[in-house]
Amino acid sequence: MAEEFASAPHFVGARIPRTEDSRLLRGEAQYLDDIQIPNLLEMAFVRSPYAAARILSVDSSAAWNIPGVRAVFTFADMPFVLPQNGPSPIDQPVLARERVRHAGEAVVAVVAESRYIAEDACEAVHVAYTPEEPVLDMQAAQKDRPRRVHDAAPNVFYHQEYETEGFQAAFDTAPHRLTMTFQTTRQTACSLETRGIIAAADPFSGRMTVYCGTQSPHRLRGDLAEMLQMEEHLLRVIVPEVGGAFGMKAATYPEYLAVVQAARLLRQPVKWTADRVESFLSDVHARDDIHDLEVAFDQRGQIIAVKDHLMADGGAYASYPFSGAIGETSLAAKVITGPYDIAHLSTVIDCTYSNKVPLGAYRGVWGPVASFVQEGMVDRIAQFLHLDAAEVRRTNLVQPNQLPYRNAAGMLYDSGSFTESFEHALAQLDYTRWRATQEQARRVGKYLGIGLSNFVEPTAMASSEAGSIGYESCSVRVEPSGTVTAWLGLGPSGQGHETTMAQVLADQLGVDLEHIVVLHGDTDAAPLGGGTGGSRSGPLGGGAAMQAGRKMRERLDVYAAHMLEAAVEDIAWEHGRAHVRGVYARHVSLRDIARIAYNDVRQIPSGLPIGLEVTERYQPPRPVSFSNGTHAAVVEVNPSTGQVTVLDYVVVNDCGTLINPLIVEGQIHGGVAQGVGAALLESLVYDDSGQLLTTTLMDYLLPSAPLVPRMRIEHLVTPSDGALGVKGMGEGSLIASPAAIAGAVNDALSPWGVSFERLPIAPRDIVTSLGRSSAAPV
Amino acid sequence: MNEVPVTLWVNGQTYAVRVSPRKLLSDVIREDIGLTGTHVGCEHGVCGACTVWVDDRPTRSCLMFAIQAEGHAVTTIEALAQHGQLNVLQQALHEEHGLQCGFCTPGIVMTMEAYLHEHPNPTVDDIRDALSGNLCRCTGYQNIVAGVQKAARVFAQNSSGATSAAGNESTHLSEGGREYV
Repeated sequence: MAEEFASAPHFVGARIPRTEDSRLLRGEAQYLDDIQIPNLLEMAFVRSPYAAARILSVDSSAAWNIPGVRAVFTFADMPFVLPQNGPSPIDQPVLARERVRHAGEAVVAVVAESRYIAEDACEAVHVAYTPEEPVLDMQAAQKDRPRRVHDAAPNVFYHQEYETEGFQAAFDTAPHRLTMTFQTTRQTACSLETRGIIAAADPFSGRMTVYCGTQSPHRLRGDLAEMLQMEEHLLRVIVPEVGGAFGMKAATYPEYLAVVQAARLLRQPVKWTADRVESFLSDVHARDDIHDLEVAFDQRGQIIAVKDHLMADGGAYASYPFSGAIGETSLAAKVITGPYDIAHLSTVIDCTYSNKVPLGAYRGVWGPVASFVQEGMVDRIAQFLHLDAAEVRRTNLVQPNQLPYRNAAGMLYDSGSFTESFEHALAQLDYTRWRATQEQARRVGKYLGIGLSNFVEPTAMASSEAGSIGYESCSVRVEPSGTVTAWLGLGPSGQGHETTMAQVLADQLGVDLEHIVVLHGDTDAAPLGGGTGGSRSGPLGGGAAMQAGRKMRERLDVYAAHMLEAAVEDIAWEHGRAHVRGVYARHVSLRDIARIAYNDVRQIPSGLPIGLEVTERYQPPRPVSFSNGTHAAVVEVNPSTGQVTVLDYVVVNDCGTLINPLIVEGQIHGGVAQGVGAALLESLVYDDSGQLLTTTLMDYLLPSAPLVPRMRIEHLVTPSDGALGVKGMGEGSLIASPAAIAGAVNDALSPWGVSFERLPIAPRDIVTSLGRSSAAPV
Repeated sequence: MNEVPVTLWVNGQTYAVRVSPRKLLSDVIREDIGLTGTHVGCEHGVCGACTVWVDDRPTRSCLMFAIQAEGHAVTTIEALAQHGQLNVLQQALHEEHGLQCGFCTPGIVMTMEAYLHEHPNPTVDDIRDALSGNLCRCTGYQNIVAGVQKAARVFAQNSSGATSAAGNESTHLSEGGREYV
């Protein structure tokens, strides 16, 4: 791995505060809604008040009469659809076509001089509906009950079965079997900045410029071109500052097509920014899953076979281009055994339509669900056998000598530190001491619980919600003055790519950080890339930056060797200056080389091209690379109020080489906080008529500062065999944390014999369950 | 809707604008005055991203009409960094990695800057309580708390006449230490 660094690494691995921060802290960064364009019109949507209904008529005459209204559009005015990938034949219309299929589906688009006027006009549009019976229960929906969501297709839009050879015999002959049902309720990413888009024709070229906080700028450009029948080279997508995305902003949404089409039709710039209520009604939801599970094991708790029926409610349409229901189930089925050595697996997957918001990507996608199931299963086995939860995990963990390890679903864990991270986490937590404290506390009526969560995190995948481009690209240009500009096709939203990619380049080029600027998210400038999603930017983007930097460095070495009359192998770089190794007096600066490369081209060493520009594409050696780690939580549960307080939280994380530990830890902190939300707070609640009841931040609760624990983090480093040894790590913390916290709550409530298999675990759930429980606590 | 003339005093400057009486202070600051550092995250007073000072008190600008701000001094995030130099709290948040996507950051800076003026020596629990009205989806708050702590230390050193703000104490708060145990 070390030979991949052209210079001794000064920057990769260092805790470097971000170059992005200053503009953000001063309030000078430009998010989508901050962009000011002359004559910018604003769009608002009339959204369906029904979960399911036929549209009888739309009367927009009163809306047209409101001063400042420029247009009112229905599907007939913009008859475009988001086509479905994969097995489902159902397209999603830009605006509802004859039927509405979830509360909040956009029916009419109004364009006006201001958002205030556009919303007034929305209220003046009269839509007549005939309500239909909504499909809301995923298990009934599998049998097409009460009816089909789409007449043309059965509700089950994805079905898969898988079984290892010899499964049934192994399962039947196992000494013990347990059945359990795990369920996660709907959540959403809930980025602080809502979604939005601006489309404005470029008055100079006539091309269309689209500003959008998307995670995949090139893919959005391609989608818009294809779906709106535009020429791709006449479209430019620019990603401004993005206020959080978490997978949710990877999708291409109907509103995006409506805005671009409106700007084409009106020949004027148009913007749409979601308000918070619209966000809940139209951002993709996630985590609507049920796992009916049976597990077979022996007296020691060694798991022999797992049988799982995975179900997900995909909502009214399969979100484009990535159905969250398929993503959550099909990937969960591949890693449901986690870091445990389980020989036999049988999975059945059913994804169904319903009259709810489409299910899409949210950080971790399958992972938070699968980890919750897998760790819950292990805890249930420990409970059943009266064994220590840590001991049962030791019995089952994949051992170091088994790596690389192919799991029962056929996934290859390339490398990892499963046993090591687990033992480190127990030591960090002081597990034995907490067990003793737990005993003492119970005697005085205090209920502590310990939750353990071992996770695997597939990263750097060829295919993710960011698209199915299995590589990333980086262009590097040394400017005539010797400074460096780099472009990547990523779509960051706070991950600090401008800093981390510059760290990688600085080490390759032997220049200092302040002489490098990293740009992204402009399809006119950046080379085509997949974008940000699925924990791919570090390993794939970093790999592209490394490769482009190295290619540039090779060229610079030839220049330096030529100018210093030395051998290429003897050239070393520091602070933007090349010298002959060991002889600092003989040196030449990057600026000197750049001057020749651009302005004194007759002096260019023979065989080298004019200028200093390279574009490189990096494809990792494997289709997926696994990060891993362990989370351990200690909670106290107040049995009379149901209040859960996290007393201690330990993370041992192994994502291979760390580019910037400060940023890695920030990602972990944020993922754990979202895990606290998933485990204890966040729930999108539908009523019996299919109305979403949680459409404000007063109803959908996000974790606030007092609720989120202080985390202690330890890094282990098992490098991948990809570039720099980097593995992805954006999702692992949210994959592991709901299971750790839920496990801790269940452990605290074990004196009552109460164990929750459904998230979130709200205070009222705890109080109600303890009230029902006949078992009195010790 | 009829527009009315309003004179607003923002960051020490006077702005004469014509706005609809129903227009939110947050929208007028952003659209009519052009100061887009004040962010709108929910428009119902929960997330805290739109926090500005009205007469030096942190206020949710999405819960006020602009016409209500007439005659009051409004301060926004743009006023905190002097000549582009980050102030002590901003610098501490930068050093401690107390921001990621940055959308909630201006609201958090406005809330905690005012808080530190009134509570120069807060405990970690105090800081978390003071932060509870500002939602952040990225950082898990840990490094924001660390940044506010660091700013409080720098304020304390500055006011006690200490020459160096650096000190020897470790500020890598994400490693080691147990505040709850």
